[in-house]
Amino acid sequence: MGPTDRGVSRRDFVKAAVAIGGTSALSACLDREGAPDLDTGPEDLSALPARQHAWNESLSRDEAGNVTAARHHVLLLLDYAGEGTPTDGDSDTVEQALRGLERAYPRSNEGLLFTVGYTPAYFDRYDASLSDSVDLPRPEALAPFEDPEPDEPDALVHLASDYGQVVLGAEEALLGERETLNDVDVSSFGDVFERADRRTGFTGAGLPAANQDVDGIPDSEPVDENAPLFMGFTSGFEANQASEDRVTIREGPFAEGTTAHLSKIQLHLDQWYDQDSRYQRVGKMFSPAHADEEKVEGVGNNLGTDSGLDGDQDRTLEDARTKGMVGHTQKSARARDENDSPLILRRDFDSTDGGEAGLHFLSLQRTVADFVETREAMNGTDVADQSAVGTRNNNGILQYMSVDRRGNYLVPPRDHRSLPRPDP
Amino acid sequence: MDSRQWTRRDLLCASGAVGVGALAGCSGLLEEQSTGRNPPVVEDRPDDIYLPSHAEGMAMIGMQEVGGRMVALMYSFAHRFWTVTGEVTELVQPGGDVHLMASIWDPDSGTVLPVDSGLGFELTKGDWSAERAPWTMLSQNMGFHYGDNMALDGEGTYTVTVETGAVGTERVGDFADSFGESATAEFAWEYTEAARDEIAFRTLDDAGDLGALDPMEMDMPLSVAPSAEELPGQVFGSAEAGDVEFVAAVASAEDGDALVVSPRTRYNGYVLPAMSLSATLDRDGSTAFDDILTAAVGPDLGYHYRASVDAVESGDELRITTDSGPQVSRHEGYETAFTDVPDVSITAD
Repeated sequence: MGPTDRGVSRRDFVKAAVAIGGTSALSACLDREGAPDLDTGPEDLSALPARQHAWNESLSRDEAGNVTAARHHVLLLLDYAGEGTPTDGDSDTVEQALRGLERAYPRSNEGLLFTVGYTPAYFDRYDASLSDSVDLPRPEALAPFEDPEPDEPDALVHLASDYGQVVLGAEEALLGERETLNDVDVSSFGDVFERADRRTGFTGAGLPAANQDVDGIPDSEPVDENAPLFMGFTSGFEANQASEDRVTIREGPFAEGTTAHLSKIQLHLDQWYDQDSRYQRVGKMFSPAHADEEKVEGVGNNLGTDSGLDGDQDRTLEDARTKGMVGHTQKSARARDENDSPLILRRDFDSTDGGEAGLHFLSLQRTVADFVETREAMNGTDVADQSAVGTRNNNGILQYMSVDRRGNYLVPPRDHRSLPRPDP
Repeated sequence: MDSRQWTRRDLLCASGAVGVGALAGCSGLLEEQSTGRNPPVVEDRPDDIYLPSHAEGMAMIGMQEVGGRMVALMYSFAHRFWTVTGEVTELVQPGGDVHLMASIWDPDSGTVLPVDSGLGFELTKGDWSAERAPWTMLSQNMGFHYGDNMALDGEGTYTVTVETGAVGTERVGDFADSFGESATAEFAWEYTEAARDEIAFRTLDDAGDLGALDPMEMDMPLSVAPSAEELPGQVFGSAEAGDVEFVAAVASAEDGDALVVSPRTRYNGYVLPAMSLSATLDRDGSTAFDDILTAAVGPDLGYHYRASVDAVESGDELRITTDSGPQVSRHEGYETAFTDVPDVSITAD
């Protein structure tokens, strides 16, 4: 039985356990999820992909063919505990810990998927500069109405699995709180890293509805049971996602790596659910044409593998001027390359950290500039300047979120994932 | 108007918010009180500005000067309003405890900044907090403001932070170098239901008739457009359609002449923000201009729409098309108006 089939209270419980973390949460997860009979990972790790972010091949797909994200996530923001630059011994410690995870679980949504990334602040420890083939600026505000705090730990570990107990166990192992995972001996980061922050979340049908009793969502329990995210609509359409190839760095010492942008977003969905009509929600999420033509059934699974824009992105300004609103999808779809590919690969998920409805927006892209371009398209400032659409009002979903933190990371290729120098 | 004047009023109102008696100074309506504060919407509403079922006052929480602008925070009881997207209006039923409002203006000119800024509220009380990007709104007795119904965490002392956002609308004249940065105003607010229920309310006998409530007598400027006589530049005509009066002028701009269109509400003359306007200028049978107008705000022109033009000559025919009416939420009495505004033509005199 998969982890999705046993009812709301169990899912709710597992989500809560992931959010709390620790040994008691882990054992609680084991009680609720049962102990899934998971294979261990390979003994010989040489066949693992060079790209840490090569997850799609090992994730499942939905009926339409879209890649389905793993359901439970933990983000560990880590500070290097030593002084100055890491030693070779430190790198070995980190690498051994990561290899332990790989041996413990298969590299899949039912097992464990993870990446490790490093901030510009980390690379600043070194005199040498990052190769020009890597675009990794410090995080900054990306809209005139936001004032995010920068996330500048040294490293970010993203753990993902369909099983809450797997991400929790992996976290504990890395932090030295357990010595075996799935009956495989594992090691920890030891005293190389200190945990600076811990963020958790989930995505997938049922989880948002089961966890909607948080600040930022009305008490009327408005989140659809079939919705994979709190805003009530499906996302991650194949056609709206960049391929892993598209987000992979092509040249230089970090070729086969990627960059990650992580923002911590608070959701404010009182207006969304209590004041906006479904017509407005569909129009603001997708496009006014989606609302007028009632293209979206339920949470939107009927749309298949693309969001059914049908050229709506080219009518963004026209819609802004005549329909009084523009869709988030419509606006964002304007950020495409010469091959009509999106620029970013979203691996975001919802959160109830701090008792607040949130979104950990994690995206992968070849250059951080690709993310900035996509975010600018989403801001729609150009549209607001030339129409009745406001800076945030009626401008996609900007009105319903605030960005608290932003961080940029280099996710090196697997060969350089453990405390890399800027010029490995 | 000089800034000191507003600052004095600031103090007046800040103290006025404390006691019910002093509230009179900041409340435009102190008439009969009622608990049934959301009477039914009148039947057979006209597609024009009409007198609503009731009128209500508001109470000032405070005013502050931050980032070169004045920020006022006010509240009333929660009430219905309508959101607007294109020609679609959606009724928002009263919900929560209060209707929280903010207004922002230039202290020197008194020009209300009815602009795209992404303004945000954050309310905190102990561990409780709520954030909101309120709607831009238009009401008959207050004109343009930001507001929304909000649920609170009971009575007590709240800290309300107003993040103004940077003024996104083009800024002209002496505003060119102002308001480009966001500013934060923080207010302490002692909320009690009793004080809220003291806020004035009255029903209207002539509800549903064409017309509008008078602007409140406020200790802060309202978003009234400059009269045709006051409008700088050369006013060359005006026209009215769909309860919107369009005043057209030519003003000098940095890069030559600007065609200025200043739409305002019938009756109260409030500026109408967040419209999509376009215009053509015909001269002797040929088209001298055909493009969209973009929003701008200046200390003398107020909030208006404009485009660069070579010139406007006597006899030119200006045709103004409203691609969409003001995309701001409406208080009762404005929700049926301005949704389908006919084109207007003005011949330059």
